[in-house]
Amino acid sequence: MRPWIFNCREVTRLVSESLDRELPLYQRIGIRLHLSMCRFCSRYRKQLLFIKEAIARCDEKNCSEEIFEPLSDEVRERMKQALAHSGDSNFTE
Amino acid sequence: MNTFTKEGSAPKLDPARWVDRYGDALYAFAMIRLRDRAAAEDVVQETFVSALHSMQNFRGHSSEKTWLTAILKHKILDYFRQKGREGKQQNLETTQDNIRSLFDEKGHWREGPSKWNTNPRVFFEQKEFMKVLYDCIGELTKRVGKAFVLREMDGLSTEEICKVLNITADNCWVMLYRARTLLRQCLEMNWFEGSSDGAA
Repeated sequence: MRPWIFNCREVTRLVSESLDRELPLYQRIGIRLHLSMCRFCSRYRKQLLFIKEAIARCDEKNCSEEIFEPLSDEVRERMKQALAHSGDSNFTE
Repeated sequence: MNTFTKEGSAPKLDPARWVDRYGDALYAFAMIRLRDRAAAEDVVQETFVSALHSMQNFRGHSSEKTWLTAILKHKILDYFRQKGREGKQQNLETTQDNIRSLFDEKGHWREGPSKWNTNPRVFFEQKEFMKVLYDCIGELTKRVGKAFVLREMDGLSTEEICKVLNITADNCWVMLYRARTLLRQCLEMNWFEGSSDGAA
């Protein structure tokens, strides 16, 4: 029995899981072994890390604002009305 | 106008300007996670009203925007918990087939990932790239997409995600795996293989 030998489907699953929790040693060794011999799975892993970083970077600068259209005037008004009528003395215009 | 100050040095709260100053940003924040215009508008409005009622809790340790965003995050989690209780199983089977078809019977790639050109030019065109990325995230089915944004954007641990979405840890890992794999594929098809210097 060689529990540290994995195929690509198994390795992609393990690579993803390694981002969420610590894997047991034999799985970590098995992944490393497989990655050293498989360029596809190596790319998969690198690309997952790339996506992770792209999201992390963008979130900091909150560039999502430019992706979605701004709130319409009606919606803005509606929200302002909701605030004004929420019956809270904190809000005065 | 009522403003709160702490020794005059901490950020002040200015509710009359919240909608104009932060409405769009909070809406975008909600839209990425909820993918539903009406739900996003509702949750942003609830955030403003809720914030108004808890202004006395603002300690001035963060900016006004950060404070409002924190309230919004909680509202979004409440929304997800609510949906989790409604227990709709959406499209989980489809994603399973999509993943399985990537590999042959022996578990080898049918068509392996191509090489991505990730040199700084990708970040130079950041806005276009992020649009494609966010569109691809939007393509993920609601269920696996939720787990993904909670993990990658909000930094929740697996345990926390399980509680919010009312799923087991195993389900969570599987969903994240599917989300990442499908996202990778979507990005490859729509960005890296589109441009001439995208694939090597």
